[in-house]
Amino acid sequence: MSLLARSPSVLMAWRNLGRNRVRTALAALGIIIGVVAICSLGMATVALNQQASSQLGGLTDEVTVSSGTDSGTDRVTDAQVTQIQNLAGDAEVVPQKSNSTTLTARNGNEARISVTGVTQASALYNLTTGETPDRLQAGALISNGTAETLGLEIGDPVEYEEQLYRIRGFIEEEGPSFGPGGGGELVVPLQALSDQEYYDTVTIIAADGDEATEIANTLDEYYNTEDEEELSINTGSNIDQIGGFMDTLSTALLGIGSISLIVAGIAILNVMLMSTIERRGEIGVLRAVGIRRTEVLRMILTEAAFMGAVGGLIGVLASLGAGMLAFKVITGNAMGALEWSSTRYLVYGFGFAVLASVLSGIYPAWKAANESPVEALRG
Amino acid sequence: MSIIELENVVKRYESGAETVEALKGVDFHADHGEMVTIIGPSGSGKSTMLNMIGLLDSPTEGAVRIDGRDVTDFNEDERTEERRTQLGFVFQAFHLLPMLTAVENVELPSMWDTSVDRHDRAINLLERVGLGDRLQHTPKQLSGGQQQRVAIARSLINEPDILLADEPTGNLDQDTGQTILEEMQRLKDEENIAIVSITHDEQLEHFSDRVVRLVDGVIQP
Repeated sequence: MSLLARSPSVLMAWRNLGRNRVRTALAALGIIIGVVAICSLGMATVALNQQASSQLGGLTDEVTVSSGTDSGTDRVTDAQVTQIQNLAGDAEVVPQKSNSTTLTARNGNEARISVTGVTQASALYNLTTGETPDRLQAGALISNGTAETLGLEIGDPVEYEEQLYRIRGFIEEEGPSFGPGGGGELVVPLQALSDQEYYDTVTIIAADGDEATEIANTLDEYYNTEDEEELSINTGSNIDQIGGFMDTLSTALLGIGSISLIVAGIAILNVMLMSTIERRGEIGVLRAVGIRRTEVLRMILTEAAFMGAVGGLIGVLASLGAGMLAFKVITGNAMGALEWSSTRYLVYGFGFAVLASVLSGIYPAWKAANESPVEALRG
Repeated sequence: MSIIELENVVKRYESGAETVEALKGVDFHADHGEMVTIIGPSGSGKSTMLNMIGLLDSPTEGAVRIDGRDVTDFNEDERTEERRTQLGFVFQAFHLLPMLTAVENVELPSMWDTSVDRHDRAINLLERVGLGDRLQHTPKQLSGGQQQRVAIARSLINEPDILLADEPTGNLDQDTGQTILEEMQRLKDEENIAIVSITHDEQLEHFSDRVVRLVDGVIQP
């Protein structure tokens, strides 16, 4: 059996597209641009999202618990910490006590500084120098800014409540802070604040933002009612807002991409319309020799689909390059573009390209198929 | 029985406020193995008449019968089916598809029909019209006479009963026209089909079994 007999629509469509290569190429170019717009904008958004969440990730995963407005103790009790540990499941629960003090350096410099008593210091702080033990039993950590002001080095002693603690590491300061210590923080073992009976804050470190939200909701449900707030529970809600902004941004970018694909679809509509009008007589001959209307329709739709598929394929390859470039620039890792969260935009782009082309082909195909053969033969 | 029959066919066209009567009650028939030529000046209604016989158009009044079956009121899809199975067309301007080879052009009317494979018949027909060595040539690579031979082969691919020819020699010189007509006559006998041609070429008369003269939509006695 010849190829012609096997898939006539495909053969006819392919040959027809080959007849006016420049026109076909220009129409396909429109599709390519549309696909590149959709795919690369989509992939760039994924890269931005990844970068944003890796930079803000530490905050999104945390839940902070402190005493609520209706708390009897104005603090978090041991019993509550135990209960929070039960409710938080696998997440690490880090109870802290806070105070403030004034440190005086040998050179006479003074610094007002907030004091945090915590055992699991390594879960909360990143150090620029030195190391945090898993459990802070002796020694202290101090903000690198304060250390600089006071001229402190690793191993130097600091005094708190008439006790000396050797500095084991410097804490990386995260942006400006307006705490009572003017940004400085001293981290000491929990027992250093043993004269305070209760905890001031409890930080819960979840695996990701979703788990953090879940834990926050569980705790809120357990401790608080609409009228009474026993514990104040906070997640990085500003991070949620950033996530919402990223969603809006990606929708807007995809919208722009879609507009270019619609424009490309109209270009195909125009090309198909022109080429069917040019081939009016030919289509009349097809109809006269007994080719059915549905077969003419299929042939022209196949042409449109071909144009979309070829344009889509080239567009996808170009977008992959553009996407990798975007990942390289934004996250520094070009290979990130190959993950499904990003490559799915290539699938969408290709699908949209074929869909837009076929939709654009419908009217010209319908028009050509339904013309009276007598009229069409007259030319 | 006649393979094709027109009975008192009237065709009126509405053009604006005016009504043009292209055929004014035409009776016509053609039999198997018969070559009938319809001759008439331009505007006489012979193209309209060929459209009626070819089921490209339906009459305002009267009846059209193929092999005794009344096909007058067939809809477009039914007429397409009749054209595919019963009729072959040859046009003045050949109307081959430029992007297909000779053999693909011949196969064209049957190519969407997956129930039959006409590839061998297409080659056979091209050999019979003397183009056995031009199977893979495109229309551009063929002369006018060769293109018309491909068109004739195409018209016969589905083993029709009737071949309709619209000025088949109109675009050809005298000698080529004559060989084309001889070819048609030979195939008519081999395939036992009826050939109905319209022309104003007097040369066709010599090859016809019967000549019908049409003037102003009326057949002359």
